[in-house]
Amino acid sequence: MIKEAMTPKERVEAAIQLEPYDRVPVAPLTDVMFASRHKGMTVAYGISHWREGFQAMVDVFDEVGGWDAMILPGYSLPLTPTVGAGVMASLGSGRYKFPGQDAAVSVDSQPQYEERELLAVDDYDEIIKLGWSRFAEKNRGRFTPFSPEDIISWTRRQTAHYIKERETWEARGIPSLCGAIIESPLMFFSTKRSLISFTMDLHRIPDKVQAAMDAVVDEFIAEAIEATRLTGIPGVMLILERGGGFYYPLKIFERFEFPYMKKMVEAFAAQGLLTVLHFDQDWTINLPYLRELPKKMCICELDSTTDIFKAKEILKDHMCIMGDVPASLTSIGTPEEMEAYCKKLIDVVGKDTGFILSSGCTVPADARFENFKAMIDTAKNYLPAR
Amino acid sequence: MSELAEALVELDEDKVKKLVREKIDAGVAPMSIVDECRKGMDTVGERYKKGDYFLSELIVSGEIFKEAMALIEPMLEPGQQSDTVGKMVLGTVKGDIHNIGKDIVATLLKAAGFEIYDLGIDVAPGKFVEKLTETGAPILGMSGLLTPSFGAMKETVEAVEAAGLRDKVKIIIGGGIVTEQVQKYVGADAFTDDAAEGVEICRRFAMEGG
Repeated sequence: MIKEAMTPKERVEAAIQLEPYDRVPVAPLTDVMFASRHKGMTVAYGISHWREGFQAMVDVFDEVGGWDAMILPGYSLPLTPTVGAGVMASLGSGRYKFPGQDAAVSVDSQPQYEERELLAVDDYDEIIKLGWSRFAEKNRGRFTPFSPEDIISWTRRQTAHYIKERETWEARGIPSLCGAIIESPLMFFSTKRSLISFTMDLHRIPDKVQAAMDAVVDEFIAEAIEATRLTGIPGVMLILERGGGFYYPLKIFERFEFPYMKKMVEAFAAQGLLTVLHFDQDWTINLPYLRELPKKMCICELDSTTDIFKAKEILKDHMCIMGDVPASLTSIGTPEEMEAYCKKLIDVVGKDTGFILSSGCTVPADARFENFKAMIDTAKNYLPAR
Repeated sequence: MSELAEALVELDEDKVKKLVREKIDAGVAPMSIVDECRKGMDTVGERYKKGDYFLSELIVSGEIFKEAMALIEPMLEPGQQSDTVGKMVLGTVKGDIHNIGKDIVATLLKAAGFEIYDLGIDVAPGKFVEKLTETGAPILGMSGLLTPSFGAMKETVEAVEAAGLRDKVKIIIGGGIVTEQVQKYVGADAFTDDAAEGVEICRRFAMEGG
């Protein structure tokens, strides 16, 4: 093991501030799914039993000798006590079929995304008129069977769990990076309208889509900032998948994604909040734009489909990069393959500073424990080539 | 390129529908209208390959193509079909309910002239084998977005082998997280995370005789 000269918090902070570190920090995006299976619970049980599920996450952490940061502290949601936040979360979870709740989704499967229209094309007009919160309050019954009181009470429980999760890690000296989770407006409308319908909306009614994005973005910013105050973690996870080069040409990104991403990140930075740009899918052609975001106030989190080496070239003096162990490698690879992959990342992307080794998106439910451990161990034992 | 094909390439939805209606009213043979649309789709594919078009243009052109087909299909004689490039069985594997990637690819494959037997989502290995046997399709496409789908894909390949069909069927897997490593693990002949590349690979398979 490398002789450590920094605490996990100092090491992660150094990576974000592009200062030298004693070794590359490692912070997998873990949640209850892999931990539940590893500890002999079904995923369905872990998801529905917070105490046991979260304890499984802590046990996995202890079993591998720990790592340097939690990107998200657990699997609760950081929400403000409002109907708007509750309905937004409900729409988010309404996209998924949960293990054990559907014949096709086994008790040991991760929740599965179901691409369907939760918002209708006509909803744009009302969202433009009312903004998100008032729209959500007015249409609550379409999206959730619960009363406003029940929704608010649920958001409070979620946030209380979130705070306990953060405190558990703090007691171990481990920082949590994100105290709020929010989608970009494009991601929000794409996932709620469904990819094909939203893509047709962009083609048929672009001005209306843009007006709806304008109508929600400030509320999304305010929700995230308030959530960070409640949870006590000065960082926001900005969920980005659908707006990148895998899906859309730059002319769409430049009009419907980047201005909103920039506005959000700048607003967060003005409050001293870090933004973890959670990029799923391939954003390689979009990387140069990230240099326009506030320096050292973002982490570019990649899932293995964006060219992480190109990201290093473009962003090395501007923002920290995090990622990008492929889910397939963790699931069906070998520890030797894992070690080789991580060493290459550490050598190239981790050189000098500005890198946090992590899973590409979430550690998969069926990850092999020995592969997961090999990722953690490689960060602790391997110094970048000089 | 005809005006109709050009309109499809330029993603002009209204113009495509207008021209298709005019051609139907003028008594143009339905299959010749389909062929014009397909030529447009081929050019969309070429632009994608060159990097001028993105997945979004594949989606939009696919949707416009479907709308055009909805106008043309009632004009086709019962049992009349266009010349197919080949047959293919397609589905999302057991335990996985993701459909979006599969649906986009299915639309593009149909537009490219494939006869698609889309078994939907959560398809058990036996169902794939049954349909391959029934149709004699020489190509199997399996989709999955989760790591556990790798196991289901592997089981399906083994079931195809057990049924004695493996040397008659080319197998391609697709999904956001499939890699060469996954292809080897599963025992497939090809992999892709790119819808247009998937169509190209299937075309190659069809030309090679499945």
